[in-house]
Amino acid sequence: MDVTLDEDQLMLQDMTRRFLEDRSPIGALRKLADSGSSLDRGIWREASELGWVALFVPEANGGIAESAQGVIDAAIVAEELGRVVFSGPFLSSCVVADAIARAGSEAQRDGWLPGLASGDTLAAWCFAGTEAKGGAEAGGVTLTTDGGGFVLDGLAGYVEEAEAADLLLVTARGESGVGQFLLPAGFPGITVEPLEAIDLGRRLAHVRFAGVRVGPEALLGAVDGAEQQVERQLQVALALQCAETVGVIDRAFEFTLEWVNQRYAFGRPIGSFQALKHRLADHAAQLEGAKAAAAHAARSVQTGAPDAAIAVSVAKSHCGRFATEIIRDCVQMHGGIGVTWEHDIHFYLRRAVSNEALWGSPAAHHERLCRLAGL
Amino acid sequence: MENTAEAPTGPRRTSEHLDTEEQRAFRLKARDYMAGRLPPRIPGEPANAFEQVELVEKDRQIQRLLWDGGLAGITVPRDYGGLGLDKRFEDIFHEEAEPYRLAWHFGNAFNIVLPVLLAHGTEAQKKKYIPGMLSGAQMWCQLLSEPSGGSDLAGLLTRAEKRGDGWVLNGSKVWTSGGHVSDMGLCLARTDPTVRKHAGLTMFLVNMHAPGMTINPIRLVRGGSDFCQEFLDDVAVPDEDRVGEVNDGWTVAQTQLNAERAGMAKGWHAGLRPAAVAEHLTLPQSYVKLARQLGRANDPAARELVGEAFVIDAVYNLTGRRIAAGTRNGRLPPTAGMVSSLLVARTDARRTALLSALAGPAGVARPAGSVGREIGMERVTTHRIGGGTLEMQLNLVSERHLGLPREPGFDRDVPFNQIRTNAAKG
Repeated sequence: MDVTLDEDQLMLQDMTRRFLEDRSPIGALRKLADSGSSLDRGIWREASELGWVALFVPEANGGIAESAQGVIDAAIVAEELGRVVFSGPFLSSCVVADAIARAGSEAQRDGWLPGLASGDTLAAWCFAGTEAKGGAEAGGVTLTTDGGGFVLDGLAGYVEEAEAADLLLVTARGESGVGQFLLPAGFPGITVEPLEAIDLGRRLAHVRFAGVRVGPEALLGAVDGAEQQVERQLQVALALQCAETVGVIDRAFEFTLEWVNQRYAFGRPIGSFQALKHRLADHAAQLEGAKAAAAHAARSVQTGAPDAAIAVSVAKSHCGRFATEIIRDCVQMHGGIGVTWEHDIHFYLRRAVSNEALWGSPAAHHERLCRLAGL
Repeated sequence: MENTAEAPTGPRRTSEHLDTEEQRAFRLKARDYMAGRLPPRIPGEPANAFEQVELVEKDRQIQRLLWDGGLAGITVPRDYGGLGLDKRFEDIFHEEAEPYRLAWHFGNAFNIVLPVLLAHGTEAQKKKYIPGMLSGAQMWCQLLSEPSGGSDLAGLLTRAEKRGDGWVLNGSKVWTSGGHVSDMGLCLARTDPTVRKHAGLTMFLVNMHAPGMTINPIRLVRGGSDFCQEFLDDVAVPDEDRVGEVNDGWTVAQTQLNAERAGMAKGWHAGLRPAAVAEHLTLPQSYVKLARQLGRANDPAARELVGEAFVIDAVYNLTGRRIAAGTRNGRLPPTAGMVSSLLVARTDARRTALLSALAGPAGVARPAGSVGREIGMERVTTHRIGGGTLEMQLNLVSERHLGLPREPGFDRDVPFNQIRTNAAKG
């Protein structure tokens, strides 16, 4: 949690936590996973009534953006979602809603934003290709002009909730730059290829575009002029992903501390052994670093600070790497129970490992930082 | 400690707009007096380097100037030579003093000995010693660690025996910052070995020029050193220089250690530069230059190392800022400061690993007479021993911050003279 939140934001945090404890605790994910079913759209609508995605939607389109601090407030929600490894399209819905609110035509805003705010419409963010070093950079889909319209070809990789989505925001690279398109699900020429994801609360898919012909009305913003809006989307996505990751680590670390305090071996709590507690002290330090980096990322993206691009990559590298490292070690400290299906910790580690890899691995963001530094 | 943050840019920020009339008058007085009198901060000039005798002498003169100008001991009661003002005036002073060098070598005196004397000293001790440190006349050190151990402070071996009206001290102290240039030292010694280790200690004020005190500088890996080892052979200390009750030295030492940590947290040892933490993150160009000099600008392996170096420096700065803000506004517990210093230790070590990997052979040898960063030597010399070993920091964070149970000890509730120690046999 950001240590500079105001009273309203602390209330938002409290409200979100209580809603999740009541309606979608970690047990909800277990039920979902055991039943093999997909997204619970009922919970998503209930959650949307609390104004989660609406944080990015203007009042005129049924949102509360004017009275909110978009990314900072959404980061508060995301952190709470991480604590219960929430299963729902929060990150991508926020990214797409923010993109439409900022760059959309009146028709696009009126057409899509009310549904996104209410939770009736789910959005998927088709941003990057499938290459291993990608994720931090737009790619995968190409764009050619065809008379007054456009043709999209290629593969958008690892798209969250693409199968359930009603709306796709597609980023495509043309000869002279990047363009973005808003397309309804089931649009001719688009096929969704579901993947088996290790994160049981997040369904991923590749989205294939085979000669998809779209008219100019589908364009979001200008053609060949979308670089800045794409960068903004990546920043929002990463700020929220890192906030979620912080919640994931924070909760796993919390119940691991409880465990080492109450679990006895050799006549003493295992938390009294320096072999464990020194590692936990190090984890506490890196967790504090993750919180600091994630909070700064959200704040700098929200305020459009000059270091926003740097801040999200710093946060992604640190949160990504240490979430996995810390929670893996938490599993180790649990011993046998930690590797069973019955214990919740694997849900946390799955989300951590998944978040580390998606939208740019730490290595991809180190490369991005070098470019930002002019190297 | 290395500060790799870029130099702050933009106008100097002060809290001048918050001044009351009295504060404003004090600010202007400080500003006027220091201008032209105090030497400037010189980039690269170390804050603390006790082996540089002329720098230590410079600091004595700086402190004397501040004393003469009525700017010493701002929050110290007037009875003991101070100004008796509240902390706000001290902040104002530091804002105004930002362009100048201050008497950084008096850090032990002001941040450690002063709070100890104010909390535990007798009226006579406060009147006798505090004006001496405020005027720059007396430099202080603390005599804590011993050759037999430093982390287990309460297991120290130096003995203080009552002889007549006074005390006689025998033993050896080590890792004393500035021992050879100090006039007085705060010394913890064992006065009763027949009780458990914490219960038999007493704190003394020791004259570093006293007969029987031998002070030897320690030569560190790089050659120079801030540190000394002292041998005390029948060093006489009058009873009026005992601080606190006999055998209650551990209580005094707690004040001392907390004061030291607070001083470290303020960054006194590095010349108090909180302003160096800029509001926005920047990527240190020094790494970019280094990668180019090494001809590795386009080498993906090198870029991965540089990228991580950017990250660890940024996270280090952001975490320091978060913990400072959070402990100030109460959102984080005071113990969070310990987390900060642990992260510093880990970051410093990791940075040396990244830069060594980046530099390769160029980090371990270079043309004679070269100046600048010695990357390989940083890898050799960057350790967290002083100011509390890494292991003690890990204990502090896990026990005090995370609330984990203590490791059982063999020395609890056992008379000190029955505990196995590193004392010389026979």
